[in-house]
Amino acid sequence: MSTNPGVWVAAILTVFVYSYLYKENLFYQLTEHLYVGVAAGYTVVIAYTNLQSSVWQPLTAKGDYLVLVPSLLGLMLFAPFISSSLRWVKRLPIAVIIGIGTALTLRATVIAQFTAQLKATIIPLTSIDSVIIVLGTLATLSYFFFTFRQNAALRVSSEIGKWVIMVTFGAAFGNGIMGRISLLIARIQLVFQEWIPLIK
Amino acid sequence: MSIVERLGRIDNRIIYTVLIIVLIWPLANPLGLPVSVGANTRRTYEAIDALESGNVVLFWAGYSASGAGDVQPQAVAIARHLFQQGVKIIFLSDVVEGPMLVENVITNIPEITSQTYGVDWVNLGYLAGGENGISAAAKGLKEAYPLDFRGNPTESLALLANIETAGDVDMTVFFTTQNSDMYVRQVYPYGKPLIGGLINTIVPQAEPYVNSGQLTGILAGLRGGAEYELLMKQPSLGLAAMDAQSIGHLLFILLIGMANLAYFAQRNRLARKVGE
Repeated sequence: MSTNPGVWVAAILTVFVYSYLYKENLFYQLTEHLYVGVAAGYTVVIAYTNLQSSVWQPLTAKGDYLVLVPSLLGLMLFAPFISSSLRWVKRLPIAVIIGIGTALTLRATVIAQFTAQLKATIIPLTSIDSVIIVLGTLATLSYFFFTFRQNAALRVSSEIGKWVIMVTFGAAFGNGIMGRISLLIARIQLVFQEWIPLIK
Repeated sequence: MSIVERLGRIDNRIIYTVLIIVLIWPLANPLGLPVSVGANTRRTYEAIDALESGNVVLFWAGYSASGAGDVQPQAVAIARHLFQQGVKIIFLSDVVEGPMLVENVITNIPEITSQTYGVDWVNLGYLAGGENGISAAAKGLKEAYPLDFRGNPTESLALLANIETAGDVDMTVFFTTQNSDMYVRQVYPYGKPLIGGLINTIVPQAEPYVNSGQLTGILAGLRGGAEYELLMKQPSLGLAAMDAQSIGHLLFILLIGMANLAYFAQRNRLARKVGE
């Protein structure tokens, strides 16, 4: 058996979580609550170090008073906890967060997910891969022509597009299974290799 | 109800038990099933292998603890490869568990004992804000991180002396269980090679970025980690699990086949009933 207390805690909690597969029980619920509590505690500690690093240090060491602006906006998020009549105060920081986030994402999305992808699809048909990429893209796009009556050619093309979409879903599902098995294997290795060394 | 139809109504608990047994068995008795190396992993390996001693890499630990089983073997393999080549690493994270997982990666790297903190590697810790945080760090590393995870002022760290933006490093490697879009959007424009270590579920979504050249390479889940270990000729966490992974997949193929047989058998029986 492992002599590392961390491995013991992780392995026992893993067994408690997997006991849910039989049926919901006290051990599972205990682990669930423990997880929420520990995660909240950890997040508070990390948030504190973040505040030290991003606010306190620039303010005290460099006299960077500009950091007070986002700090104030952050504090405004807590206004509803002071009084329900101050609920409106948090709208301003939320608007700033959404506004900046949207602007940053949109600015880069046009290049990263539109023009670059468009360029990657306009390629010479010199290999089977290229043919599949180009025809697959065109067929999939034709599947989403909903606003006018489809002729025979478009019907065939959209049917091919449907199959391309199905194959993509299949690949995504297969990758999903593969990922979940990997996670289970990691837990089995912890319990049966590190904790109880049944597997060499 | 026929035997075939009953296959579709197996108690879930029986399936879970069979799955766990099927996964434990090859872990205890390795079968040595062949592992081939895919084009994505090879491309990733070659890009990292082409780095020179003294180069600097941004190492973004953007994966959660719940997905670490799939992504951590890749992170360990790539970090080892980088250190073995004399490449310097700046660890940072955009998920709250990141700093803890970076420490976990480091404890799995024997080469770390010969590396000096602040000179050969640093751990900057977690930066809040999701994509906004990634953008801020890529635009101004020291402004986004005035202190590292150990509380040292980043301006005093020798490794960061000449690093201002993501354009000043030689490569960025990110590991994620969320999505690769935000790294492509915010880091790729700096024009340096970008490599993604991904949880399996998001691999199909990232493939177009490889085709377009925005991502130099990707590693797909535990399998990607195992292939990378194979190329490094240093078997570790990933390769040890490959037999179990393959047998697990066989079980799933069998279960999906059985479920489909049961479905068609039931449909035929109902059709016959309606016909009568």
